[in-house]
Amino acid sequence: MSQFSTCTQPSGVVVVKPTGRLNMVAAPALRKELHTIVEGGQTRVAVDLSAVDFIDSSGLGALISGLKVARQAGGDLRIAAPTRQVIAVLELTNLNRVLRAHPDAGTAFDE
Amino acid sequence: MSDPQPLVLDTITGPDTLADIQQTLDRAWACHKVPEIVRLHMDLAAGEIGANIIEHSGDGQPVHMRMSIELTADTVRAVFTDDGHPAPMDLSRVQMPDEMSEYGRGLAIAFRVLDELSYRRDTEGNHWILVHSRT
Repeated sequence: MSQFSTCTQPSGVVVVKPTGRLNMVAAPALRKELHTIVEGGQTRVAVDLSAVDFIDSSGLGALISGLKVARQAGGDLRIAAPTRQVIAVLELTNLNRVLRAHPDAGTAFDE
Repeated sequence: MSDPQPLVLDTITGPDTLADIQQTLDRAWACHKVPEIVRLHMDLAAGEIGANIIEHSGDGQPVHMRMSIELTADTVRAVFTDDGHPAPMDLSRVQMPDEMSEYGRGLAIAFRVLDELSYRRDTEGNHWILVHSRT
């Protein structure tokens, strides 16, 4: 059972959209979801953060875990449309350097 | 200044504790005018300290935890007390881990956003004091 909506685009990019609070309660399921997607052979993952109103260190850890597993498989994980709280937390942890925000999940892999 | 209802959460830790912490903070923000950035920082720091207590104080088992929110003219203060194990850490050595680290940011985040973060251990248990200016 997944608590995240996932959608595979024609390009092969999988868009994952968590909602609400990405904290110690929700982060393990997101981490598992991201690993399952990559282990299933889809290594380009875009996480749509437009419906996440709160993220903490556990949520960040899940994103970093997904980023690592995607890159190890030859792909990448990108984030899109972060809310103000998420932007603030990415900046104060310096993770905006490795998780650069894209405006839209659907175009996160368009360079 | 008196609060219409005490801003206290007294609970046994469990799956709902983080939501209960946030609800208590939301009650404080409903009663007191506090800038958005201060609310964001306190929500984050209190969540991190709460998560630390839930995860580590009882080695995964529930502990008795009390959180109180106190607002003065200049500061917002959150005081956490729990009856779990001592927290084995040195706050002076807390730092943000490597960018690709999956763990270890919780206390570093709290330390970074607060004006004061202190911890002490006594016969009643663990005491965390979080302070942020109201501006």
